[in-house]
Parts: sequence; structure tokens; C-alpha cells
Amino acid sequence: MDTLIFIITAAIALIGAVAMVVARNAIHSALFLLLNFGAVAVLFLLLYSPFLFAIQLTVYAGAIMVLFLFVVMLLGAERIEDAPDQIAWQRPLGIGLGVVLMLVAMATALRASAFAPPPGGEALATFGDPAALAALLFTHYLLPFQITGIILLVAVIGVVVLNQRGRHRSEEAGREDARTRRREDARR
Amino acid sequence: MLTWLIWFIPLLPFVGFLLNLFVIRQERQAGMLASATVVASFVLALVATVLLAGLPEAERRVQSMAWEWIATGSLSVPFAIMFDPLTAVMVLLVTGVGALIHIYSIGYMHGDPRVVRYFAYLNLFVTMMLFLVMANNLLLLFLGWEGVGLCSFLLIGFWFERKEAAAAAVKAFVVNRIGDAAFILAMLAVFSNFGTLNFYGMEINGRWVPGFLERMPEIFGLRFGPDWQPIAIATGISFLLLIGATGKSAQLPLFVWLPDAMAGPTPVSALIHAATMVTAGVYMMARTEQLFAASPATQSWVVWIGTFTAFIAATAAIAQWDIKRVLAYSTVSQLGFMVAACGMGAYAAAIFHLLTHGIFKALLFLGSGSVIHGTHETQDMRKMGGLRTAMPTTFWTYMVGAAALAGVVPLAGFWSKDEILAHAAAYGYWPQLAILFLTSLLTAFYMGRQVALIFYGEQRDNHYHPHESGQTMRVPLIILAIGAIVAGFMNIPTLFSGMPAAHLLTDWLQPVLHEEAGKFNLVVAILATAGAVGMGYLGWWAYTSNAAKVKVGGLDPAYRYTGDIWDGMQEAWYVDLAYNRMVVAPFRSFSATLANVFDKQGIDGMVNGVGRVFTWAATEVRMLQNGYVRTYALVFTMGAVLVLSFMLFVTR
Amino acid sequence: MVPTAYYILLSAALFAIGVLGVLVRRNALVVFMSVELMLNAANLAFVAFARERLSVDGQVLVFFVITVAAAEVAVGLALLVAIFRSKRTADVDEVSVLKG
Repeated sequence: MDTLIFIITAAIALIGAVAMVVARNAIHSALFLLLNFGAVAVLFLLLYSPFLFAIQLTVYAGAIMVLFLFVVMLLGAERIEDAPDQIAWQRPLGIGLGVVLMLVAMATALRASAFAPPPGGEALATFGDPAALAALLFTHYLLPFQITGIILLVAVIGVVVLNQRGRHRSEEAGREDARTRRREDARR
Repeated sequence: MLTWLIWFIPLLPFVGFLLNLFVIRQERQAGMLASATVVASFVLALVATVLLAGLPEAERRVQSMAWEWIATGSLSVPFAIMFDPLTAVMVLLVTGVGALIHIYSIGYMHGDPRVVRYFAYLNLFVTMMLFLVMANNLLLLFLGWEGVGLCSFLLIGFWFERKEAAAAAVKAFVVNRIGDAAFILAMLAVFSNFGTLNFYGMEINGRWVPGFLERMPEIFGLRFGPDWQPIAIATGISFLLLIGATGKSAQLPLFVWLPDAMAGPTPVSALIHAATMVTAGVYMMARTEQLFAASPATQSWVVWIGTFTAFIAATAAIAQWDIKRVLAYSTVSQLGFMVAACGMGAYAAAIFHLLTHGIFKALLFLGSGSVIHGTHETQDMRKMGGLRTAMPTTFWTYMVGAAALAGVVPLAGFWSKDEILAHAAAYGYWPQLAILFLTSLLTAFYMGRQVALIFYGEQRDNHYHPHESGQTMRVPLIILAIGAIVAGFMNIPTLFSGMPAAHLLTDWLQPVLHEEAGKFNLVVAILATAGAVGMGYLGWWAYTSNAAKVKVGGLDPAYRYTGDIWDGMQEAWYVDLAYNRMVVAPFRSFSATLANVFDKQGIDGMVNGVGRVFTWAATEVRMLQNGYVRTYALVFTMGAVLVLSFMLFVTR
Repeated sequence: MVPTAYYILLSAALFAIGVLGVLVRRNALVVFMSVELMLNAANLAFVAFARERLSVDGQVLVFFVITVAAAEVAVGLALLVAIFRSKRTADVDEVSVLKG
């Protein structure tokens, strides 16, 4: 039963990933990535981590992907790759290198990990309990947890600063911005 | 009292040097000051010698340390001087002859634009020479050794506008380097084998530092026999010292610099290149006599080098036209006598000859300087002749010097040379005795020739009006002439039993050289003096009777008796030429190759090539930074793949 | 129960696909998505190893990764918007002024 679910979800995850890379339209890419994230979330559940399953869905599939879709649409960057490639020579090289990396990485993975069935039984009954995770997070990993909070704060401030308008620009750029705004207003 | 008194002997000329260098600007003051300091040194040296003579014989060595010069590890070199019988006679010679030559220089150098500098150099030379003979360790001796070499270089090249003077200065310096290198090696060998550079033991900062001459018995004496190593050490060290001495004392094969050194002012030739500096090698060999005595192999080298040098230089002296070159080769020849005496173990005789030679050769040089001065810078003897009437003082003093050099009884040269010959006869050095005897005949011949050419016959060149030199030049000549007459009596052999004043010098030097007085050899003495008189007369006669044939560009009257041999003699048997062909010319062409081919194509090519490679590489590598982030990611991924592959295939 | 190796193989494959996306796609947003995919693949490996070793630490690490990824996405998208505003494009190849 487990194996069947794994095979199906793994296939979905792979298809999603490949389709994301292949899709011409960035909106499609985002949606395929969403599919991939969902599949991986299911895999998390299979691996006894319900809490991660939940935040994978809420944070990744929910917040982050929505943000992506929003920015894609905001910038109108759905199909910018129709223009000819400036470094076309890199395409085959990149594909080849990606394939080689896949082979090498999988070979390394094969060598490094076990094929024997993982330990089970009694221990697994309580493993991955969100309460246990929380206990560890707020005791042993308290400092990293705090630092993560600071990183988020810095990110918020960074985003605000990056998208601040006018103050540090030249007058010309400011007027340009104003025109864009008016155009956008008009479009609405 | 002696311990502080002796410091003033070298330091007074040094003060004179400093004053002449930095303060004095006037010719007259410079000459007076320089002479005064050296005269004062001479007086002090006399006082010190008298005080030394007042001590018991066993205690006649005063050592005095100023400070510990070098103290690293087990090497402790004091800046210390000493005063013992050997040093005393050397100091008296250096300051005595030096003082006379300083006074003479006042007259000789009058009117020269750089005369202050001249006296500064001269004072520095006396300082360094005094440090050389007073040093109580090899390193300080070497300081003096190099110091006099430097002064020699500066004074040979004193008239550096003249190309040959500058070249001769460089030649003297370079040739001396060969000997100096050997000297340094000898010092290293002494230190590694004896652990000290001091000649005699002394206390340094409360610690007793032994002297290597005193440690000789414990290194060599106890282990003679089947164990060959001590003899090998002694041979090695003494042979290196011998090479050092051949450089400084102008022996075969390094004598070529001395004749050229005559490009310097004549008083310099007298002081440095006849009386004092060139005898440093002989002094050094006498000082380290125990080392040489321990090695029979080196001793035979020493005696043969000295003998051959004496003979070859004497033959070369016969065929020279330049008044100073005759004396230069004569000096080389007499130095050969001294070295040969050292080789035969007759150190006292060597020092005796050194002293008398210092006096009469200085006299001859100063006399020739007077001739040159009086004939308006004429040095070619073919342009002289008949000067005895115009320059009576010079003539008579010169005659005394020439007779002393030739070995005429009872002048100084006779006694000292006879001492060497008698020693050779007494200890069975027959081949050397024969050659040296022949050399002494040749010596008489070329002195007769020179006197005849300069003072007899008619004046062959009338472009100048010869005149006698001034008071400052005549007085030193007279004093030195008196010296040349009486100096021999300080060490006359026992002519009849119960003679009170015999062998004064040998006895005086006995604590240092440990040498008993030799016996008087009547046969050798009579033969030598008869030969000297005969050959001297022959030389004089041959060149006075043929005076008319002597002219510039013409052949020497003796040429028809000797033929081509004369050409060889004139060129000192082509030693110089051989050096030019074998050392200088290959070196020049090698340098030219380096400069024109290797430097331009090799070095420059390398430098420019590096530049070109980097320019090319930069233009190429620049392209890698194409600005596309994706390309950077590609390269980055390649690295990741490589690392992963490494982990996969190499590490297990 | 599925052996851990399968998860790791899947993780490696997903990661390589992400790399491929970074290398061949020009749309900055898709490149960014590919990076997210790579992060996700790493997360999968972490969780798989956590189960293998019966240790919750792996899951804690994934929690941190997700959090930091959220921050990174926010800043990255803000940068993209800023670049777009001056360059009028989201093509990464257009941002290639800094070159030798």
C-alpha cells in the first residue's frame, strides 16, 4: 500500500518538476511547481512528518506560490523567452550537464543510503509527533529559531527598502515612475 | 702602561686621517698634520719598544683589548692589539719609514690639486698597516689586510684621470681578491679546528680564550705519527695562508699587479709597494710560523715559490726601461727572497731582510721619485743619463741604496741577504741556494745598469733641465741612506768569537720565532759580495760604454747577447699575457655573450615574454566574464559535478 | 514500507531537474522556481533520513529551510521587481552589463 502511494506521488512529483522546467509559459510553470509541492507534501506525510506536511501546503503551496503567480502576472512576464537566446550554445551544454549531475547524484545517493526496510514498529508510533518536534525546536534549537525570526524581519525590511519609491532616485527616474503609475492606473 | 700606550700608535694616524678627511682643506696643513701624527707614532713606538725591552724575556708580550668585537656562539673575537718583539720591529719600520715618506711627500706632491686627500689616504694606510701588524687575532689582521688593500687601490688610482692608473688600481684589487679569498678560507679552517682566531691566549670578559698558536702542540704535537689528520689540517691551513701571502706579497703566480701598481705616486710606491704592505704576507707567515712548521709539504711550496719568484722577477727587472718598473720587479724579487727564507725556516732572516729591504727599497723609490721630480715627470731611463752632476744628493743616496740592494759589504742588504744564503747553505737547500745566488748576481747587474742609465753618460733627452729636489725630499733620502748603511748591523753574524753585538735582531725575536742564530758562512759571503761587486760593475760598464746606443725605440745593448730571451724578460715571461689570454679574454667574451645574447634574448625575452603571456591571457580570460549569470551557474554546476564525481569515484 | 533509498533517488532526480531549470531557462521567475524545486528536493532527503535514523532533528532542519526559503522568496521577488522596474524585463540574460 505504502509503496503504491509512493510510486504514484513520486511520478506526479517528477512529472510536475519536468513540466515546470519545460513549460513555455511562466504561469504554467508555477502551476506545475504547485503540483510538485503537493506531491512532495504527500511524501512528507508518508515519512511520518505531519507537521511538515501542513507547512509545506500552507507556506509553500499557499503563500510562496501565490506570491510567484502574483509577481508573474504583475510584471507580465509570462512569455519572455520567445526572443532568440543570446547564449544559445549553453543550452545543450546545460542539458547535458544537468543529466550528468542527475546520474552522478543518483549514483551517490545509491551508494550512500540503505535499501533495507527502515526500522519500524513501536518507535514509529510516536515518531514525527508535532509535539515532539515543537519540544525540540523550543529547547535545543531555540537560538537558531530566534535567528530565523531575525532573518524574516530583515527580509521584511529589505523588501520595503528595495521597493521604496522616489526617495533615492533621480528626478528623471521619478517622473518615469510616475508615468508608469499613471499608465497602470489608466489600464485599470 | 704599555697596555694603553700602544693604542695611541695606530690611533694617532687615524686621527690624522679623520682630520684630513673632514677638517683640513689646505695642502700645507694636511702635509704637516699627516707627517706629525706618523712621527708621533714613531716616537711612541720607540718608547713602547724600550719599555718592552725592559720586561723579562718571557713576558715580552702585551695584549690589550678595547672591546669584544664579535661574540656569537663559541666565536669570540676581541678588538685587541698586542705588542711583542715581532710587532715592535714591524711597527718601527712602518712608522719610521712611513714618517720619512710622509715628509718626503710634502715636497713631492706639492701643487697637486688633491693633495689633502692624498695625505688622508696615506694616514689611513698607516693606521691599517699598524692594525695589521699589531692585531692579536686573525680577523683584526684581516681588517688591516683589507684596509691596506683598499688604500693601495685608492693610491694606485690616485691619478685616476690617467687610464692606466685606474686600470692598474682595479688590477691590483682584483688580483689581491684571489689571495684574500684563500685567507678567509684559512680563517674559517683555523676557527673550525682550533675554536679561536686569537694568536695567543687572553682573557675576554673574565673568560680565558686560548690562542691557536699556543694550542698547536695539543692539536698537532701529541698525535704525530700514523694519524695523518693533524698534518693534513696544518697543510691545508698553511697552504691557504700561503695563497693569501702570494696575493699580498706579489709572489708567483699573482705578482702581476705590483709592476702595474707603479702608476701611483712614487712615495706611495715606496711606502706601500716596497716597504710595508707587500711585506704583510711575509709578516703573516712569520707570525703563524708554527702552522707552517707543522707542514713540510707547504714549506717546500713556500721555498720554491719564493725562489722562483725571486729569479723570474730579477730577470724581468733587467729588461725594463721604466725607472720604477725596474724597482718594482726588484721588489718582487726581494720579496721572493723573504718568502724563500720563510720556507727554509729562517723566519728571523726573513724579517731581517724585510726590515733592511724596507729601508733601502724605500730609499731607492724615493730616489727615483726625486729623479722623476727633477726631470719633469720623466720615467723612461732612455731619456735620462748624466744626472749625477745635476742631482748630487739624489745620486749619492741612490748609490748607497743600489749598493745595499746589490749586497755590497757592509751595507744593509749584504747582511740580510747573506743571512738567507747562509741558512740555505747550512740546511742543505742547495738548488735553492744556487738559484738565489744567481738571483743576487742579477740583482747587482740590474742595479748597475740602472745607475749607469740614470746617472752616467750624457743626457739623452734635452727637453728638460734636471734640478735637485727640495729640502723636504732630500732630508728623508739622507736619513734613509744612513739607515741603509747601518741597518745591517742590527743583526750581524758572529764574525769573531766574543763579539758583543751579534745577532741582536734574532735574539730579540727569539721569544716569538723561537729561532737560534745561524752561523756565518764565510764562503757564501765572499762569493756573494764578490759576485755582487763584479756583476754590479759589469752592469755599470756595459751601459756606460754603450750609452750612445741607448735610445727610445732602439734595442738594448745586451740584446745581442741574449736574443729572444730578452723579449721574454721584458714581458716578465708573459705571465700577464697568459692571464689575458687564459682568464681575461675568455671572461670578456663570455661577458659579451651574456650581455648581447643571453641578456637581450634570454632575460629580456623572459621578462617581455611574461608580460606578453599575461596580456594575452588577460584578454582571453576576460572573455570568461561574459555577464550572463546563467553561464556562471553552469560553471558552478560543473564544479559541483566534479566534486560529486570525486566523491563517487575516488573516495570510498 | 518504502526503503529510504527510493526517496533519496527521487530527491536527487528532483534536484537535478531544478539545476537543469536554472541552467536553461531565461525567465528569472522560472529560474527562481527551479531554485525552490532544488530546496524542496533537499527537504525531501532530510525528511527521509530523519525517518531512517528515527531522529526528529532532520524535520526541524526542514522547518528552518522552509522558513528561510520564504524570506528568500520575498527578498528575491522584491529584487526581481526592482530590476524589472529599471530594465523592463525579467530575462536574466538582459542583466549582463557587468562583464569583462
